[in-house]
Amino acid sequence: MIDTRSLFGLDISEGIRKGDFKANEIYSFYYDRIKRICSGLNCFVEAYGEGLNCEGRSSLEGVPVAIKDNICIKGKRITCASKILSSHIAVYDATVVERLKKSGLVIIGTTNMDEFAFGSSTENSCYGPAKNPWDNTRVVGGSSGGSAAAVAARIVPFALGSDTGGSIRQPASLCGVVGFKPTYGRVSRFGLIAFSSSLDQIGPITTNFTDCANLLNIISGYDECDSTSVSLEVPDFTKSLQDNVEGLRVGVPKEYFGEGLDLEVREAINKVIALLKNKKAEIVDISLPTTEYAVATYYIIASSEASSNLQRFDGIKYGIRAESNGLKELYFKTRKEGFGEETKRRVLLGTYSLSSGYYDAYYMKALKVRRLIKNDFDSVFKKVDVILTPTSPTTAFKIGEKSDPLSMYLSDIYTISTNLAGLPAVSFPCGFSKENLPIGCQIIGKEFDESTLIRVGYSYQQDTDFHKKMPKE
Amino acid sequence: MNDLEIVIGLEVHTQVKTESKIFCACSTNFESPPNSNICPVCCGYPGVLPVFNGKVLRLALKICKALNCEINKDIYFERKSYFYPDLPKNYQISQYKMPLGEKGYLEILNGKKVSINRVHMEEDAGKLIHKDNYSLIDFNRTGTPLIEIVSDPDINSPQEAYDYLNSLKLLLIYIGVSDCDMEKGSLRCDANVSLRKKGATQLGTKVELKNMNTFKGVRAALDYEVKRQTIVLNKGEDVIQETRLWDTQKLKTVVMRTKSDAHDYRYFPEPDLLNFYVSDELIESVSKTIEELPLEKKRRFMEKYNIIEKEIDVLISYSWLAKFFEEIIQFYPKPKDVSNWLIGPFLEQVNNLDKGFSAVKISAENFSKIVQFFTEGKLNNLGAKKVLSLSITTNEDIDTIIEREKLVQVSGQDELLKFVEDVISSNPKAIQEYLEGKDKSIMFLVGQIMKITKGKANPQVAKDMLERRIKK
Amino acid sequence: MVNKQNVEHVSNLARIEIEEEKKEFFAAQLSKIINYIDKLKEIDVRGVEPMRGLHIKENVFRKDKVKESIYNEDILKNAPLSQDGYFKIPKVID
Repeated sequence: MIDTRSLFGLDISEGIRKGDFKANEIYSFYYDRIKRICSGLNCFVEAYGEGLNCEGRSSLEGVPVAIKDNICIKGKRITCASKILSSHIAVYDATVVERLKKSGLVIIGTTNMDEFAFGSSTENSCYGPAKNPWDNTRVVGGSSGGSAAAVAARIVPFALGSDTGGSIRQPASLCGVVGFKPTYGRVSRFGLIAFSSSLDQIGPITTNFTDCANLLNIISGYDECDSTSVSLEVPDFTKSLQDNVEGLRVGVPKEYFGEGLDLEVREAINKVIALLKNKKAEIVDISLPTTEYAVATYYIIASSEASSNLQRFDGIKYGIRAESNGLKELYFKTRKEGFGEETKRRVLLGTYSLSSGYYDAYYMKALKVRRLIKNDFDSVFKKVDVILTPTSPTTAFKIGEKSDPLSMYLSDIYTISTNLAGLPAVSFPCGFSKENLPIGCQIIGKEFDESTLIRVGYSYQQDTDFHKKMPKE
Repeated sequence: MNDLEIVIGLEVHTQVKTESKIFCACSTNFESPPNSNICPVCCGYPGVLPVFNGKVLRLALKICKALNCEINKDIYFERKSYFYPDLPKNYQISQYKMPLGEKGYLEILNGKKVSINRVHMEEDAGKLIHKDNYSLIDFNRTGTPLIEIVSDPDINSPQEAYDYLNSLKLLLIYIGVSDCDMEKGSLRCDANVSLRKKGATQLGTKVELKNMNTFKGVRAALDYEVKRQTIVLNKGEDVIQETRLWDTQKLKTVVMRTKSDAHDYRYFPEPDLLNFYVSDELIESVSKTIEELPLEKKRRFMEKYNIIEKEIDVLISYSWLAKFFEEIIQFYPKPKDVSNWLIGPFLEQVNNLDKGFSAVKISAENFSKIVQFFTEGKLNNLGAKKVLSLSITTNEDIDTIIEREKLVQVSGQDELLKFVEDVISSNPKAIQEYLEGKDKSIMFLVGQIMKITKGKANPQVAKDMLERRIKK
Repeated sequence: MVNKQNVEHVSNLARIEIEEEKKEFFAAQLSKIINYIDKLKEIDVRGVEPMRGLHIKENVFRKDKVKESIYNEDILKNAPLSQDGYFKIPKVID
């Protein structure tokens, strides 16, 4: 019986090409794991008995990949973990899905998430929370929690997630895997069910940087269906898989190491810094003074855009329609019954901040503070090549522990600024707590400089084996 | 009534002629079966994104230039939010703070320059069909590009509003951006009307009027509303700011049922679209495509050509017709004659062609020949019309046609003598009636001559000869 | 700060029915959040241009070309209610 859990996706693909295993054997292996393990972890929404693939050649052909439940796959139920879309069958493929199919990857199913990507724990899902494979009583992080957990538990070799305020990186950190958010505009958003249009990006969740680079090669690039995607040429990210950080200037921002940061996380990050220093990187102390305004800025912008993006869910064209007497009731009841509590909260918050009388004080003001946050990064990047921070202030918390929305929002503090500034960032596993919970380290790069991040992460993974650890089954 | 001044502002929406919609590649063909020109983008499906059709910008710019607007170079779109079943995303992508054009004017028929406040681009909504106890939605129309043209409250009577609309329609058709057909819905109009004391600077409370489906309807609705507001004010009461619908059956304005929340549209810049920079080059290139505008052309024609105004109005009503006219008189400089032939037989024949003017192939030179031959007597009316019909879509050489069809008018008395005598001898009754004073009978006899000469006789000469012969 | 009436007004704009018992609950949560967000009042943004996104300024246009509609059937199939090729909804009263 084959067991490819410890293999990179790249190796699996090569194995298929060499004849070491057959593509359908690989598929069955992972499909069986999903069926067996998932009820325990609740990280999948749907698994496909027959993999979706198209004829395509690439370095990852034949390898199964899971897709977060907010990325459209033609002919499949795509629900954003929301009741309101429970009956929605996507009528087109997202551009990234098209590109995966054209590269011969096999789509194995959709993963659990926070409803409409609103959340940092995957507790806001209409399918119930996903459970952390390292400790089933704890959250997986969010909103791409299902994808992160599935990769961590080796139920799939890799997955796609989406990141608006940290939704790829934070679950990757809490589950001990690599989660990459590209520069805004690097990857097409066409087919990603929008949360916050000026912040969303799709990115890969993998166990290692090799698979990450290969996936990024496939999904990146200009898309004529997405006016916000950039027409910059996509470098071959696999060329950055080099073990070399000599002379790299690594900025460590003091604002990310203050109060609220868990001691064990702090120690793990310090060890990363020490390792890089040993490998001849230069460590530079820096400051990002606007950090304290990031969460407030983010929540205004994100909720405002989200409230608008979610207006289309009205029971008229697709999705569920509530029983009602008349059109007015149709709207009110459908959205009441279809949206979960956090979704309602975000929509109300966003509507409030865009409404007459509040627009200038909130939305407009937030866009201006956003400029200041970006300026901070711009001036810091004159002195450094990457910025190194913890991904999350803590390890995975208990399911149900953070019941106060505001305290949940505040836990996004380290990841949020990157989305506001549109910069690329990645979280990779850098240690374990005493309770054997993964700890994640984040590195942030200059705009469109995913290459350097890949090089740093790859270098790190040559000298460590945190990314090879697997949770008990 | 006498001390009150009428203040009207008009908001016109026009669809512009593009093949595809403003933010997606669906066809704008309005004659398709319901929900056949739709896609995930224009149906507001989850995950879709708009991509802007560059042609819309060109057409909108053309309108702005023709309306003498100042062009905003750095423009962007905004989301205008409201829930309605014909609006799939429950927001409309439109422009608010930064319209493409501002502070323009339209010169109308009476010479007044009506100020144009703004011109901007937006997407159209779908169509609703109301049945007894349910409604149906057709999304074919969602995403059709619309240009909104808003006048300042600068119009001072219902008649002036009517003139404004006609002038605007003529202009838009002229520059080829729209076919401005209110029946097809490619042109829509809403009005705002208020009254104030003559000389007052502040505007009175305005009422918005909707559901006017023709220009005459707009005029009638404004007429009615002015009268209604006058009565209210004369009673010493206040006009309520509201939206009223024009009832086309009862011919009065009625309050719209529920205007629930005074709309809070929550405008904010469309995050899925970047800014657009309107370069000087683009403005130049669009300006070049604007030829002489209708009012200028009319003035020039009135000055240059000795033709009555009514006929000039017809000539300039289509820019291609005016152009054709001026080409023809290069070859045969008799404007009045050419005009008669264009406005009469030519337009009549064009209207009977399947594809209208686009099927016309006759050159200006050939057309000029037809007019010349008629005027000089070589062809009679019937003959000239026949030549035209044979050459209008083929541009066949005129002389060739005339020879082949033997259409040369017979005007010689020698040639006609035989026919005259034939007709006289075969129609004793008509002759008798003529001699008795029934003048019409001569036309009957002329008709007989036309018949036996297969339309070739010169009717005037034939008539003279008959009269002389009979009187003998 | 955000009171029950605000919640009613905003939920009306957003077309979400909130149960009576939940209005105070949401009001309290939103108040707390808005209170935190009011932190932004501290920061001086005079002369700062708003940042709508990481944009490289370029005109992104589409050519005016029609793509045949291949989605109609699937789109209508997703309709909660349809009739004769139309989407069907309760009567719209203006």
